Amino acid sequence: METGHMHDKMTPVERLEAYARGGAIDRLPCVPIVGNTAARIIGVKVSELRNNGRLLAEAQVASYRLFGYDNIRVFTDLYVLAEAMGASVTVPDDETAYLGAPAIDDVARIRQLEPADPASDGCLPEHLEATRIAVREVGLEVPVTTALTGPFTNASFLIGAEEIARLVYKEPAAVHALCSVSLEAAVRYAEAIIDAGATPSLTDPMSSSTVISPVLFRRFSLPYLKRLIDHIHASGKKVTLHICGKTNRIWRDMVDAGADCISIDNRIDLADAVREVGDRVRLMGNVDPTEIMLEGSPADVRRAVRACVTKAGQAQKGYVVASGCSLPTETPFANIHAMLDAVREIGFPVAKGRFQERG
Amino acid sequence: MNKTNEKREDAKMGDERQLFQDLSDAVVAMDEDRVVELARTVIENKIDVYEAIEKGLSHGMERAGQLFEEEEYFVPELLVCSDAMYAGLDLLRPYLTQSAEGSKRKVVIGVIEGDTHDIGKNLVKIMLETGGFDLHDLGRDVPPARFVQKAREVEADIIAISTLMTTTMDGMAEVVKLLEKERLRDRVKVIVGGGPISQGFAARIGADGYAANAGAAVNLARSLIDGDRAHAR
Repeated sequence: METGHMHDKMTPVERLEAYARGGAIDRLPCVPIVGNTAARIIGVKVSELRNNGRLLAEAQVASYRLFGYDNIRVFTDLYVLAEAMGASVTVPDDETAYLGAPAIDDVARIRQLEPADPASDGCLPEHLEATRIAVREVGLEVPVTTALTGPFTNASFLIGAEEIARLVYKEPAAVHALCSVSLEAAVRYAEAIIDAGATPSLTDPMSSSTVISPVLFRRFSLPYLKRLIDHIHASGKKVTLHICGKTNRIWRDMVDAGADCISIDNRIDLADAVREVGDRVRLMGNVDPTEIMLEGSPADVRRAVRACVTKAGQAQKGYVVASGCSLPTETPFANIHAMLDAVREIGFPVAKGRFQERG
Repeated sequence: MNKTNEKREDAKMGDERQLFQDLSDAVVAMDEDRVVELARTVIENKIDVYEAIEKGLSHGMERAGQLFEEEEYFVPELLVCSDAMYAGLDLLRPYLTQSAEGSKRKVVIGVIEGDTHDIGKNLVKIMLETGGFDLHDLGRDVPPARFVQKAREVEADIIAISTLMTTTMDGMAEVVKLLEKERLRDRVKVIVGGGPISQGFAARIGADGYAANAGAAVNLARSLIDGDRAHAR
């Protein structure tokens, strides 16, 4: 029986299908992007999830069932693909993993890099196993996605972020070679994710204008993102593209890359995004993951959600209430519940003026 | 001095000014080869090295920092500008007299334990060095106690801590607590920055300041030091 959450009238799948058709829905879609917070829900350490598909699925499914949000995202950290290509990852006992060392330290070694094999390399098999289990358990009622790091960002993990920042000027051909091998790996992993019954969820933080200029983004990231998205589209899947930090000058490019939904963080003005690209693409995000979701009160969360819906609730291609980035692990459950509750209170259609946030 | 000599002096000063401007421009243009060529000209013509650094290399790097704040330049541009600046500095520094390098304010900088994202820290380091501070870089994944130990050892004026990860933010608070415990808090200013950090967070943990980017970090560091001086008076 696919009932969805006890407080909702529709399942996420029903809601998202109806929303896309322009039909009646009970509330706006809502995705507090739960990553390693899922470990807290089943009472395990963060490090236990990373290479254990069964446990990762259990945590993510339990989190979905507890909060009733509209998208499961199998994710532990940004580095699983780069790790599967030789990067080393530091895994603290109970915190999110981080890059220990890039795969190579010299451009001369780029030729030795090979695209990862999702069936055998690093944690990829376990992330795919988590994906299959989640799809089997709740895939009929909620879309299951699996995080996939974009080619340029993955390339930066292969040789080091600071090194790639220099190479874009000093050895552009090397950057293209790194992006090409990353694209090939991303395409293979995307295919495996789709075979597992899910959709890749793209995340590409190094493409942010907080790091590289729009000009360099168009040169080194956009072409590879576009090819990756084309590939995913060929399987009939819709693509969400998340880029953190400042993105206002590349929103149009993100749309041109083919994204069906762009997920944006809190360092931009959502109203600007609605004006600039809201007629071409669905928007998602903008609730501050740190100051509001981690450190704020449920009342702060409620206010932030209302402010976002005031700005984007009427966007032509739709809006998904969401955190601006993956939630910090220790985000209080009460704040995640508050996000969903606020969206339920607002209801649908979003009546302008009825709930509008003032000040 | 007769008229001819005066003219010659004027011309020489004009040439020097042009050379400093060219150095500055070459840094902004990310042209490392040109910087090296111009730095050699400085040495060959026995031009004041301190001035060449101040009015040429540092001037250019400050302009690059300004462009960064204006979102004309981004991380790659700032890094490549700094490579050009440091290439020039490496050539000129051996010709500096000791006194010119003396009495600089000291900053201990690092990425807090649990994080290895160090581009932001490196940019702040570059801009603080450009701004005339003496930097002690602890690198990344630095335990809170190490910041305090180093600050004591070098008699630092400022500790600058960076992170990109929310999981590590408690470590920043720990540095402040350790300084208090070791009775160093009134001698050392603490400044924080990085993706998830905000002014509010800085205030909550009792840090002296927050900067949103590398350019702002220099202004913050200067104002804290100046504020201290004003207070001392």
